[in-house]
Amino acid sequence: MRLLLALALLCPLTAQAGVKDVVDGHVLPGTARFAKATAQLDVAASADCTAEAIRPAWNDAYDAWLGISHLQLGPIEAKGRALAIAFWPDTRGLVPRALGSLIAAEDPIASNEESFGEVSVAARGLIAMERLLYDEDFAYDAGEYECNLVRAITHDLSRMAVEIDTEWREDFSRTLLTAGEPGNDTFLTSREADQALYTALLTGLEYNADQRIGRPLGSFDRPRPTRAETWRAGRSLRNVTLSLEALNDLTEKFADTDTTWTGLAFADALSVAVDLDDPIFRGVEEPAGWLKVEILQQRIELVESSVEGEIGAALGLAAGFNSGDGD
Amino acid sequence: MTTRRGFLASLAAAATLPRASWADMGAPAFLGVARVASGAYSLYGLDAEGSDLFAIPLPARGHAAAAHPTAPEAVVFARRPGRFALVLDCATGGVTHRLDAPPGRHFYGHGAFIAEGQILCTTENHIDSGEGRIGLWSRAEGWRRIGEFATGGIGPHDLKRLDGDVLVVANGGIRTHPDHGRDKLNLETMRPSLAYVDPDGALLDQVELPSALHQNSIRHLAVGRSGTVAFAMQWQGAPTDAIPLLGIHRRGTTPVLGKAPPEELRAMKGYAGSIAIDAGGRIAITSPRGGRVQTFGADGAFLDAYERADVCGVASHGAGFVISDGLGGLSFLLEAPVALRRAADRAWDNHLVPLV
Repeated sequence: MRLLLALALLCPLTAQAGVKDVVDGHVLPGTARFAKATAQLDVAASADCTAEAIRPAWNDAYDAWLGISHLQLGPIEAKGRALAIAFWPDTRGLVPRALGSLIAAEDPIASNEESFGEVSVAARGLIAMERLLYDEDFAYDAGEYECNLVRAITHDLSRMAVEIDTEWREDFSRTLLTAGEPGNDTFLTSREADQALYTALLTGLEYNADQRIGRPLGSFDRPRPTRAETWRAGRSLRNVTLSLEALNDLTEKFADTDTTWTGLAFADALSVAVDLDDPIFRGVEEPAGWLKVEILQQRIELVESSVEGEIGAALGLAAGFNSGDGD
Repeated sequence: MTTRRGFLASLAAAATLPRASWADMGAPAFLGVARVASGAYSLYGLDAEGSDLFAIPLPARGHAAAAHPTAPEAVVFARRPGRFALVLDCATGGVTHRLDAPPGRHFYGHGAFIAEGQILCTTENHIDSGEGRIGLWSRAEGWRRIGEFATGGIGPHDLKRLDGDVLVVANGGIRTHPDHGRDKLNLETMRPSLAYVDPDGALLDQVELPSALHQNSIRHLAVGRSGTVAFAMQWQGAPTDAIPLLGIHRRGTTPVLGKAPPEELRAMKGYAGSIAIDAGGRIAITSPRGGRVQTFGADGAFLDAYERADVCGVASHGAGFVISDGLGGLSFLLEAPVALRRAADRAWDNHLVPLV
């Protein structure tokens, strides 16, 4: 006991301890789950490519994606994968256009596993699938071209998910955990690894407040409900809830310091989300409903400031000095 | 026989005649501004290996610095919408002058010297009209304001000197008003441009991009050896749009846009923060939001991408580039970014200013 205490005193207190917990307890279970869910989605599409048959597996895959979508560093960011998995927000209507032109031409690329990855990101991934599975305009029957297209997308998704999981396990985990050691060109000090995870945490929170909620909110005078993420599939609010749960998990694994306030702020934001009876933020069309959705946005912003005040301050971290400056 | 009077006179002459030069400061290769651990800001002179030659404390966060071509002086601008700029004597570390924007004007954060270093040109906002202005300041006359002229656009940000003291100005196109901080007031109608202005204020040439790119704010400039102007842009649409952020222009021709695969374009998150051209004509642009540096050939063909978190500053360095980041790193771009130096207690700000 005394020896342990002495060792503890000898080892300098660093925030690095949290990085291993994040990798083992948050990232790797998340990437494995996404790989499994997309594999199951691919199996489901192979067995029966109709929308009704695939929807449950698509929803499971989307749930799994929300567990890791905030990890915008390393394998998920490499090769443009994040957007190839979920092309959102689609501000210029590229998804229906890209799908429409593939379908109109019955482009044989849908039957070519090797080259489907070269298709526009707008026609790949979970968001393109949402159109095919939920948009009346894209309804199809078994045996039509869309069947091949759906299978090509699920196959491509599963491939990317396996790559992400493998690269995290076999390579990028070590890159994070050996930050500051000789030969590590990505993280030149241990603090840089902390910074990368901290930035992912804050950026993930911002994304929920500014994009997932901010886009349908629009302005009080001009709400934009059809800008909500995956509203066709009826899961806009669910996305926020699951993403917040994942970010809460990341926070708990990452922070070695006291996170009482951050924990309370997460619990508060999640309880507001649970009580919000507005699964696709359609309520923003009415003033009362708009204000309710805005309250959720504000509670997430409170989580952000708690994270900055409690974790950022304790570790001497701040989100991007230059990336946040903008000039 | 040396008289006391004569001796004093020779001392005085020695103090004024051989003017101080950058060589007296150890011939710094770059100037950079950083936030230090205490939260304060300093201007650093760095040698080619990235080591400090001098450090001068600043009263607040700055944007860019303009280095005098010969004398060891730097002008550091307050952040946009800044009302003042400081002239620093890098030999003494002292602030020798403070430039205050005239009433109704504010600085945008960049400046350039013309007339062999005797006149400083600053990009400014004529606040009431929102029109861009170049302010002229005479170094020889104690940094007196000696005039101003229009830039032919809104929101002039960076400017650079070309041969013949022609100025090339990046009219970013975005109207701001100090009462609204950095709020962008005209995104629907913005029209960025690249303007060439002579030292008398005549607009020699003005170039715009196709209207589909009117929301691509032209912000930062680099000038190549043969007078090629490379410009870095900031897209005001969605960061998922695959939009080129690099343009290349020579007067009398149509601008060429950088050509990169869509996933590379998207990886920059619609934002290029700095730009440089190396001795071989290669161009580098940085994106702190994407944590990425991209290099292009002189013809705009994509060459390489490098990952570096919170990277922003970039300067040419011989046949290559040095980049600086908000995590305190200065790196040389080889196959990958190779660290010249880590200063983890420092956050390098937007720009790295090369001294030639």
